[in-house]
Amino acid sequence: MAKKTARRKVSKTEEKNGKLSAKDRKTLKSIGGLAEGVNKAAFRGRDPHLEIPSRSLSNVRYNKTKRFIEMGRGKNRRELFNLSQAKSYMQTVLVGNGCRQLINAGKTTSIRGLYYLLKHTIEGTREETFDEQKDCDPIIEDVEVMLSALREELHLYAKNAGAMVGPITLVDSGDEIDCSRMGSGGYSIPSIAEPEVVQFKRHTAKFVLHVEKDTVWRRFNEDKFWQEHDCILTHGGGQPPRGVRRLLHRLHHELKLPVYCLLDNDPWGYYIYSVIKQGSINLAYESKRMAIPAARYMGMRSKDYERCGLSSSVTIGLNDNDVKRAKQIAGYPWFANKKAWQKEIDLMLQNGFKLEVEALINKGISYVTQEYVPARLDDRDFLD
Amino acid sequence: MDIDRNIEGKGVPGLSPQATNGKRSPATENGRTRVAKSGTRRRRTTAQSMAAQQRNISVSEFFAKNRHLLGFDNPRKALLTTVKEAVDNSLDACEEAGIVPEIWVRIECAKGNRYSVAIQDNGPGIVKRQVPLIFGKLLYGSKFHRLRMSRGQQGIGISAAGMYGKLTTGKPVKITTKISVRKPAHYYEVEIDTKHNVPEIHNGRGEGVDIPPGEKGRAYMQRHGIEWVSHYAAAEGQTPKELRSGTRVTIELEGKFLRGRGSVDEYLQQTAIANPHVTLHYVDPEGQERTYERSTTELPVEPKEIKPHPYGVELGHLVTMLKDSKAVTLSQFMTSAFSRVSAAVARRICEAANLSTRASTRKIGRDEADALYQAIQQTRISNPATDCISPIGEDLLLKGLHHVVPGEFYAAATRPPAVYRGNPFQIEVALAYGGGNSVEKLTYEVLIELLGHSDARTLRQFLVNTFDGIGSDSADRIIKSSGFGSRQSPARMGPADIKSLLDAMQNVTLSEKQSMQIMRYANRVPLQFQAAGCAITQGVINTNWRSYGLSQSRGGMPAGPVTVMVHMASVWVPFTSESKEAVAAYPEIEKELRLALQAVGRKLGMYLRRRKRVKQEGERRSIFLRYLGEVATAVTEINGGDRQGLYEQLLKVAKRKTAEADTNLDSRGRAIVESDEDYGRNVLVVEQRPEDLLVGLAKTDDEQKQLF
Ligand SMILES: Nc1ncnc2c1ncn2[C@@H]1O[C@H](COP(=O)(O)OP(=O)(O)O)[C@@H](O)[C@H]1O
Ligand SMILES: [Mg+2]
Repeated sequence: MAKKTARRKVSKTEEKNGKLSAKDRKTLKSIGGLAEGVNKAAFRGRDPHLEIPSRSLSNVRYNKTKRFIEMGRGKNRRELFNLSQAKSYMQTVLVGNGCRQLINAGKTTSIRGLYYLLKHTIEGTREETFDEQKDCDPIIEDVEVMLSALREELHLYAKNAGAMVGPITLVDSGDEIDCSRMGSGGYSIPSIAEPEVVQFKRHTAKFVLHVEKDTVWRRFNEDKFWQEHDCILTHGGGQPPRGVRRLLHRLHHELKLPVYCLLDNDPWGYYIYSVIKQGSINLAYESKRMAIPAARYMGMRSKDYERCGLSSSVTIGLNDNDVKRAKQIAGYPWFANKKAWQKEIDLMLQNGFKLEVEALINKGISYVTQEYVPARLDDRDFLD
Repeated sequence: MDIDRNIEGKGVPGLSPQATNGKRSPATENGRTRVAKSGTRRRRTTAQSMAAQQRNISVSEFFAKNRHLLGFDNPRKALLTTVKEAVDNSLDACEEAGIVPEIWVRIECAKGNRYSVAIQDNGPGIVKRQVPLIFGKLLYGSKFHRLRMSRGQQGIGISAAGMYGKLTTGKPVKITTKISVRKPAHYYEVEIDTKHNVPEIHNGRGEGVDIPPGEKGRAYMQRHGIEWVSHYAAAEGQTPKELRSGTRVTIELEGKFLRGRGSVDEYLQQTAIANPHVTLHYVDPEGQERTYERSTTELPVEPKEIKPHPYGVELGHLVTMLKDSKAVTLSQFMTSAFSRVSAAVARRICEAANLSTRASTRKIGRDEADALYQAIQQTRISNPATDCISPIGEDLLLKGLHHVVPGEFYAAATRPPAVYRGNPFQIEVALAYGGGNSVEKLTYEVLIELLGHSDARTLRQFLVNTFDGIGSDSADRIIKSSGFGSRQSPARMGPADIKSLLDAMQNVTLSEKQSMQIMRYANRVPLQFQAAGCAITQGVINTNWRSYGLSQSRGGMPAGPVTVMVHMASVWVPFTSESKEAVAAYPEIEKELRLALQAVGRKLGMYLRRRKRVKQEGERRSIFLRYLGEVATAVTEINGGDRQGLYEQLLKVAKRKTAEADTNLDSRGRAIVESDEDYGRNVLVVEQRPEDLLVGLAKTDDEQKQLF
């Protein structure tokens, strides 16, 4: 009960402060539409249902001209009076209402925050609205696609992950930040990297070097690689989160900087490259704001074992799952007719091992910054 | 000398209903067929010579030879048989006298393996001069002499129990009997003179003693240690009513008291079920007192004696009957010797046999008799009068079963009377489903309660005695898996112990199926032995219970919390052997059993299907209901609408949606409408609380009840 009145208070206070942006008003309108749908169906004695664009593999396709993954027109029906859907229906409406509260309050929260905001015991039962955060996350994505509102438009963010350093000055939430003076940690890339939050001021960079992991990124930062080569250095802590992808996208499109990726030579590395370049299945509806079809793959390459003369002790054997994943990736439409990629994956399978970027340290602590990457840049030896 | 044959001869004067049916020829049947074939005149002389011989044989010798037939083959059974003989007599006596029976049974451990068994009734009492004969002379009874449905058919008589008592303990039978409030009661201590089969009276200088009515008598009894229940138990604040009459028999014998299958406990419980008009007080050797209250004061309809029916007569027997008959003409013979044969029927039979109705019975030879026999089989003769059978009736079956066996669903079916071999009989079946201290429903709190009430000495004993479907095997496994010692006392268990016991119970027994309990009865008397060889058990096994929603392996007993009672009532129950514990499988009996079992089975199936559906409905609705409130709240917070209005609207839609989905479709896709009348009559459904069927809903119950 207490929870309910508290929630009501939030909504009442906001109605009065009219400081809503145009974007916010648009999002509120679509949330209102969701509620209206339920209302109308109920009063007509109909079975209320929601139409949610399908986020499954079968509903994404590769757009050859745009060169990224797009979501199809497939929709799933979610019914209130369907035993297997009743609960997720209720959760969807709850998430809609939660976002409305955030927008009205002019606040943002993490997806974990929203989960806690909405989690309570259903009246008269011992059942929770959401048992775990992982019950809530996919519902948030459902709401995003259903209302075609971006996550930040719903006033939600994911936790920061990823760092940036380089000859660029930007403004983040009104604070001017010189990314060439960020010490050893770098600028922490925010999860919302929209122009409302982050504006680029000036830069002298010629390209962006995106590396997979924090550990590799530190090597490059310590060696001041970005100073020597005039580049922006980023990492995404493995699979780059939305904020990192969005920032890379903007650096590429707004500042016209080429993006080169230095990732591990394994299926996971290939997949990260695929996501940066073509977008992900899960976030296919965001591809146009995130995918960078012109990104290039710099390494590690399957041939590096020979080319760099690496010791067999730094290789990691492929397991069954790796082989399976590699074959899957080779079959992606955007890799399927790229001979170089097919050869690359084939060679890895032939090798029977994977190579991490860190393995290069075996040749010398700064081998990667002083020899490996400069050589690729000189030769323009990239995979598309 | 063959006393046994003599008994049978007396039991079926001039009739051999069981003569070989081709399939089975048990010893009895052969025995009796021989008697029948030998002819009346010869048999009479046999009877006379036998009477002469009787003086010479020692009754104890006879007894020793035949104890297995008489139910005294082992100490355990001897105790049971003694109780049985006395209780059967009490019930018969009360019913014949039109008294609603109340019976007190008390078994006390005398010393060592000696038990003192006392049975008292509120029956008519026994006139003074009969007492010594009834209790002190073997084979002195009234029931073998008539073709009538009675309990007595099964026993050998109370005097046999007295005899056994005397042989094993040397103690006489003690009888107290009273035929009216004002008249004196009689007290006898009697034993059989085993050499001459005559009673020997020990007390009152061979005359017994008379006890005056009223206070004086009570004082006398107290002085002499004569036990007598003088008053009925009364509700608090009411004056107890005095017993007007009754009989108390006390026999001391060597025996063995056990519980479980084939026990006195089982016999009394089953007797209470099949005799819902009796109130039974039972004190067992451990001093535990149990009372089975009557559920009706209606006495069974008094069965009548009948003449044999033509269909039940074998050719050889027919020849004998013709020879015996005093009738002059064939027509006279037919109409007087048989039931259901009118002059017209007799004429039709004679015509079919190509014989004159006026033919002399004396002149009917073997060939004519054969023709007559064939003609009888071809002629339509109406079934024998069935008022000689007194079925329990569907109503009372339900009451009796419900009273004693806990459950949630009961069904009963009494088949119309049918005839095997010219003997009218009737099959009745009643079924109880569910209930009991089912382990599945057991909660921690209930278990604590049960443990508190139990006076079992070991945990094992507690488990076996308290729960249906836990036998000693599963009890051992439960105890083992919960890590207790085999001699763990149920009294000394802490909360943690009880929790682990509960866990073990639920884990162990769930994987194990409880099999159906069958209670068999012949003329209201429980049959406790030889289950496998009994037509009733076979009938249950041969019924396809799977189609009624129970699981059953091929050729096996169905599984589930089900108790089935089957009653065969007949003027002559065909037993497979002398020990009279299993009903023989005549095709007519098998058919009636099948039909009766199917009738209750169908009703059970209907109930189980409905229960499953109601449960599913409940679950569906509860799932919708629990989310509607959340949806209504969220939506109206978004659009500022009226929450209650939207909620009610959503409920309406929910109700309609579930109602649609609830409609069952038959195989052709048409909606099946099942209403409560479908069960037909004679079904008892014990209301299950709706909460039991709904998951996880505590508060919204009221809402549900209102709306659905
Ligand atoms: N408790 C009793 N009350 C009245 N009469 C009894 C009682 N017990 C026995 N009798 C009479 O004694 C008779 C003999 O009993 P019993 O020896 O058991 O043979 P049966 O029961 O087969 O007739 C009974 O038929 C009945 O008339
Ligand atoms: Mg008797």
